[in-house]
Amino acid sequence: MKSAPFSYVRPESLADALGVLESSAGGARVLAGGQSLVPMLQMRLMQVDTLIDINRLPGLDDVRADGPETVFGPLVRHTMLESLPLVSERLPLLQSAIRYVGDPQIRNRGTIGGSLAQADPTGEIPLACLALDAVVVAQSVSGSRRIAIGDLLVGSYATALEPEEMITEVRVPPAAHHFAFLERNRKHNDFAVINVAIVGCRDSDGRWSSLRIALGGVNDRPVLAVEAASLLEGTMLEEEAVAEAAQLALEVVDPPSDIRASAEYRRHLVPIYVRRALTKLRDDHERPDV
Amino acid sequence: MSDRISVTLVVNGREYRRDVEPRMHLADFLRQELGLTGTHIGCEQGVCGNCTVLVAGKAVKSCLMFAPQAEGLEVTTVESLAGFDEELHPLQEAFKDAHALQCGYCTPGFLMAISALAAEGRRPTRDELRQELSGVICRCTGYENILTAAERYLSKQRVSEGVDGWGI
Amino acid sequence: MAGVFEAEATEIDVQKGTIGVSVARKEDDRLLRGAGRFGDDVQPGHCLHLAVARCPFPHARIASIDVTQAAALDGVEDILLGSDVVSGSDPISVLRPVPDAPSLNFFAMATDVALFEGHPVASVVAVSRHIAEDAVALIEVDYEPLEHVFDVESAMDPRSPVLHPQVLQSNLLARNRTGAGDPEAKLAGADVVVEDRFVVNRVSGLPMETRVIVAEWQPGARELTVRHSTQVPHLVRKQLAESLRLDDGAVQVLATDVGGGFGLKLGIYPEDVLACLHAMRTGRPVKWVEDRIEFFRATTHARESLHRVRLGARSDGHIIAMTDVYDIDLGGYNSPMGSPQLTSVMFTGPYRINDARTERNVILTNKAPVGAYRGYGQPESCFVREVLVDRLARRLGADRIELRAQNMVRPEDMPWKSTSGATYDSGDYEACLRIAAEAIGYEEHIRRGRGPRSDGRYVGVGLASFVERTGYESSKFLANRRSRFGAHEGVVVRANRTGGVDVYNGVSTFGVGSETSFAQVVADVMSIDFDLVRVHLGDTAASPLNTGGFASRTLIASAGALRRAAEELRDKILRIGAFVLDAEVGDVMISGDAVCMRDDPERSVPLAEVHDRAIINQGMPPGEEPGLEASAQFEPAGAAYGYGTAAALVSVDPETGDYDVERFVVAHDCGNPVNPMLLDGQVVGGLAQGYGQAVMEELRYDEETGQLINGTMMDYFMPTAADLPEFELHHTYVPSPVTPFGIRGVGEVGTVPGAATLANAICDALADFGVEINRLPLTPELVWKQIQAARARGHRPDSDARVDEDRQGTDGERHEAT
Repeated sequence: MKSAPFSYVRPESLADALGVLESSAGGARVLAGGQSLVPMLQMRLMQVDTLIDINRLPGLDDVRADGPETVFGPLVRHTMLESLPLVSERLPLLQSAIRYVGDPQIRNRGTIGGSLAQADPTGEIPLACLALDAVVVAQSVSGSRRIAIGDLLVGSYATALEPEEMITEVRVPPAAHHFAFLERNRKHNDFAVINVAIVGCRDSDGRWSSLRIALGGVNDRPVLAVEAASLLEGTMLEEEAVAEAAQLALEVVDPPSDIRASAEYRRHLVPIYVRRALTKLRDDHERPDV
Repeated sequence: MSDRISVTLVVNGREYRRDVEPRMHLADFLRQELGLTGTHIGCEQGVCGNCTVLVAGKAVKSCLMFAPQAEGLEVTTVESLAGFDEELHPLQEAFKDAHALQCGYCTPGFLMAISALAAEGRRPTRDELRQELSGVICRCTGYENILTAAERYLSKQRVSEGVDGWGI
Repeated sequence: MAGVFEAEATEIDVQKGTIGVSVARKEDDRLLRGAGRFGDDVQPGHCLHLAVARCPFPHARIASIDVTQAAALDGVEDILLGSDVVSGSDPISVLRPVPDAPSLNFFAMATDVALFEGHPVASVVAVSRHIAEDAVALIEVDYEPLEHVFDVESAMDPRSPVLHPQVLQSNLLARNRTGAGDPEAKLAGADVVVEDRFVVNRVSGLPMETRVIVAEWQPGARELTVRHSTQVPHLVRKQLAESLRLDDGAVQVLATDVGGGFGLKLGIYPEDVLACLHAMRTGRPVKWVEDRIEFFRATTHARESLHRVRLGARSDGHIIAMTDVYDIDLGGYNSPMGSPQLTSVMFTGPYRINDARTERNVILTNKAPVGAYRGYGQPESCFVREVLVDRLARRLGADRIELRAQNMVRPEDMPWKSTSGATYDSGDYEACLRIAAEAIGYEEHIRRGRGPRSDGRYVGVGLASFVERTGYESSKFLANRRSRFGAHEGVVVRANRTGGVDVYNGVSTFGVGSETSFAQVVADVMSIDFDLVRVHLGDTAASPLNTGGFASRTLIASAGALRRAAEELRDKILRIGAFVLDAEVGDVMISGDAVCMRDDPERSVPLAEVHDRAIINQGMPPGEEPGLEASAQFEPAGAAYGYGTAAALVSVDPETGDYDVERFVVAHDCGNPVNPMLLDGQVVGGLAQGYGQAVMEELRYDEETGQLINGTMMDYFMPTAADLPEFELHHTYVPSPVTPFGIRGVGEVGTVPGAATLANAICDALADFGVEINRLPLTPELVWKQIQAARARGHRPDSDARVDEDRQGTDGERHEAT
C-alpha cells in the first residue's frame, strides 16, 4: 500500500513550519514520529497535500525543569522519556505508561507531541497526561494558547487543535508522589483494551488526597473518574471504599464494542481494574512522601 | 508524476544520492533505489517489523519513514554484517547454529534489532528479550531459537552502563 | 526415548551431514546475509507493476466501470476489465476438488457480480506500484450492493440468495459422508453421550511474505517465464498453462525463495493470471507484490467451520461411537486446494472406534475463499474430539489419562484401519500419552486437588492426543477424489566435474529446509561429503514433474526418489571407480570425495576424476553408457501417521477470564528424524501457529455490512515473541514401515493439538465452576462468558449448586466475583 502523492517540506524553523500550516488551509499535516500517521497515509485512510517534517527543528526535543513544572518539547521520543532521570524523579507514571507504547522500534521514533495530537482513545500518553493534569501549548502564526489535556482530547482521534496549530510544549505540573498504572491488551504491544492511571498523595498516617483516576479505552477519549476520586479523598483506601469507588467509575465510561472486546466485557473490567490499580497504589510503598 | 526530491544519505558507510518521490518509504528506497534487497517488507503498516534497520544507530521500522526523512542520516542494514566474500558475522553464525531461521524473511529484521541491543551494550534476560524483540514478527519458528541465538550472541558482547544520545 | 521397532530402513550412518544428524542448513548463508532471492527481490528492467481494483462489498452487482481517468494517468500502460479476462483466459482449475461438487468457474476477475470483499473487478499496470495504485483510486465503479450471505447458517436459509445459481440450487456446494459401522445405533444404545455444537474460528496462515509474481512473456517464441512465491511450481505451471491456453511446455515457473507458505501458496490465484495477461498484452515484465490490505481479502482464509459432534461411551469408559456433522464456510469460491479434507479422515484420532461417521457440508458464503492451511482440517477434528473426551471423563468421573489409554489403538493393532479408511501404519500412542502426562506433572496436579492457588488463580492441566496423517495414502486415494496431482516425487541427481553432485527437485524453498535434508539423504546413501551435494529447487525447466510442498509429504516422497536416484548414481560411480582402481566393485566404496579400496583407503581416485570420465565419456569401463546422472520417481507405499499428546498447565483468574499458559509440552513421534534440529523447528513453528489460533487469532466479518472488521496487521492478533510460552518437546522414534528410512512427515503436526489442549486445561481449571468450552479463540472474554453461563445454569465454585440471584445483573452488568 503506497501513500497518495504529497509535497514534502522540511522547514528550518518553527516559524516556517507554522507558516506552511497556515498557508496550506488545512491541507497540511505535521510529521513527527510518523508511527501512526505513516500507516494511515499508506493505507490511504488519509491523504494530505503537504507533509511538514518537523523532526529537525532545533530545541523541540528538550526536556527541562521550569521550577516545579516539567516541560517537554513535542519531539521528545518515547525511548528518551523511558530513561531520563528527570522523568524518573518527577513523573515516574510516564515511564510506566511508556513501556506499553508499541514496541522498541516504535518507541524510538514516536513522540509525546505526536501521541497527544493522535488522540487515540486507548493511548498511554494521553491517559498519563490526563492523570497528570498536563497542559499543552499550541502555536500558530497568530500566537499561542494553552489547552488543558481534558480540553485538548475531544473525541476519538480528535483534538481541539485548529488545522493551523501545532503542539510546541507539553507542560506537566508537579505530580502527586504515588502512582499506579495498569494496562490490559489482547497481545503484547497492542492497543489497550482498558488502561488505568492513578496518582495520589499519601500522608504519614496513610490517608490519601489529591487522587486522580484516569481511564482509557472505555470511552471515546480518556476520562477522569472524578466522583470515584472524591469518594476516596481522605480515606486510607480501605477495601470497602475502594470497591465502592471502583463501581462509581462506571459512571464515566461508555465503552465501544470492537474486535478487542465487547462493551459488556469492558464494563465488567472497569471496576476490576480500578480496584486493582487503587490496591496497587495503596500497597506500593517504594516512594516515600517528601 | 509528482515532484521528486533529492535525498542524500549514508548507508552501510557509503554515501548515496537519489531523486525520488517523497512518498517513497525508506524500505522501498533501500530496495529499489540502492538494490539493497536484504531489508524485507512484510506489512507497510508498522506492525511486523521485518523492515527493521538502524537509523542513527537506533532500530526503526523503515516502512514508517519516508525516504526524505533520512536525509543526511546514517542507515545500517543487514548487508552491513558481512561483506560478500567475508565470513558470516558472529550474530549470523549464532543464528545458523541455533536454527533461528526457517524461511528467512523476518531474519534481517531480527538481526538488526539484536544489533541495536548489542550496540547499546544491553544484555537482556531471555524474558526481557521476548519484550525487546517483540517488535519483529516471525511466523515460522515460534521464536524459541531466535531467543537462543540472541542470548548466546549478546552474552559474548560487552555490556555498557548507559545509553548515549539521540541523534535523529 | 529409544525407538521401539526395527524397520526396513537403510542403515543410519552417524557422520556429519547424513540422516539423523542436526547439520546446519545450506540455505542459511544467503538468507542470513539478506541475499535471499524472494519475489520482490527480482527486479527486471522495464518492469511494470500491477495493482488491482477490488470490490469493497461482500456481494454486489457491478453496474458500470469507468477507467477513463485511470487510463489517462501518466505512467499507466494497460488496464484489464472483467470482459477482457473472461474472453482472454479460462477459469482457474481446482487441484483438489470437493467430491461431488460441480465446477464453479472461477475466472480471474468478476464480470457482472462480485462474490466477496476483495474480488478483483479491474487491474492496472503502470511504471511503479505507486502510480498503479493512484490509477486504481481513479477507477470509478458503480456497485449495486446485493443481500449478502453472512455465514453457513444463513447460507442454508432458503430465503438467502443462491450465490452460484448457474450450477447449484442452493449454497451447498457438496455434502460428503465418510464413515463405517452404525454409529447412530450405537449412540442410541450408549450409556453416556456427550455432544456439543462447536464453532471453529476463521484464521489466516499469515506468512511474513505476501504473494508475489513476476511474469515475462516472449512474444516471438510465445513463452512465458514466471517467478513465483509458491510451494508448488509445477502445479502453478499447469494451472497457468490451462488458464492462459498455452502448452505446458511454453511455461516455465521458477520458485523464488518463499517467505512462508503454510498452504496459502498452493496453486494460482486471480492476480497470477492477471499479471500474465498484462505481460502478454504489453510485452513487458509485470510484477505484482501483494500488499497486506489485499492479503487479508484476497489470499485464502482457513478453518472456519461449525461442528455438531456426538460421542457415545459405555459406563466403563469404552468409547463406542462418534459422529460429526460439520459445515465448512467456504467463502465465495472453491480455491485450488479448497476446503480442508482431513477433518473427516482423522476424525477418530488415536482411538479404536469402529462406528463413526462424518458428514461434511461445504457451503458457499460471501467471504474470501477458504484454502489449505497447515493441518488441513486436523486441528479442527482434534479440537472437537478431545474436548468431548475430557467431558466424557468428567461425566464418568474417570481419569482423563486412563480413559484415553484404554481407548487407544495399540502397537499390536497396527496396521489399523480407521472408520474413514485411513490405515495407521505404526506407533505407540500410549507411550506419548504417558510421557506428556509425566512431563506436565499430571499426578502432582491430581494430588494437589481442587480449589484456588494462593494467588487466587485456579490451576488446570489439559491434554489432547492426536494422530496426524502425513503424505498421501497413494495416488489411488487421490484419484478417487479426482485430485489433479499425484502422490509421487521425482528427482534428478547429476554428477558434476568438481566432484560433487547436483540434485534437482521441483519443490521450492519455503522454510522447511529441503535443500539441507535432501542433501543429507543423498550424502547418506552415497557416502559422499554433505558439502559436495548441492540442491537446486523449484525450477520447472530443470526438475522432473513434481507435486510440491504440502501435506507433510515432501521429505517422505522425495526421500524415496532421492534414494533410488542416488543408489543408481552411486553404483555407476563404484563401477567406474573400480575400473580405474583395477579392482572388483565389491572391494571399493565411496568415502567423502573419492572412491577408495575398502581395505586400503589410501588407494583411491577422486570423485572429480570419476565424474569427468563419465561426463566426457573417456576412460570408461567397456559397456558403460556415457554420462553420470540418474532420475527417479517414487510413490510411498502409504501415508505415514505422526502422533502424540500435548499437555498444558494453565492458571485462570475467574474474575476476568484471564489465563496464563505456564507450561506447554508435546510428546510426539515422527519416525526416524532426518535432521532433528530442523524437525524440532517445524514442530515448534506449528505449535506457535496452533497457539495463535487457539488463543488470539480470528478473522471476523461484520454481520450487517458483511465486510471484514479486522483486515489489518494491527487488528489481526498474531503472537509476538512475548506472547508465546516455551514449548517443551519430547520425542519417541517409532519408524514407519511404509516410508523410506521410516520417516514420518512433520511439517504440520504442531498445529494440531493446541486448541484442544488449552480448552481442556481451562475447563479443568474451572471444573468447579462448571465451565465448558465449544468455540475458538479462547479469549479471556470467552472464558469469562462461559463462567457466567455456567453460573446461570446453577453452578457455583463451592459445592453448593444454588443459583445466587443477588449476583445476576439484569442488563448485562456483572458484579465482581468473590
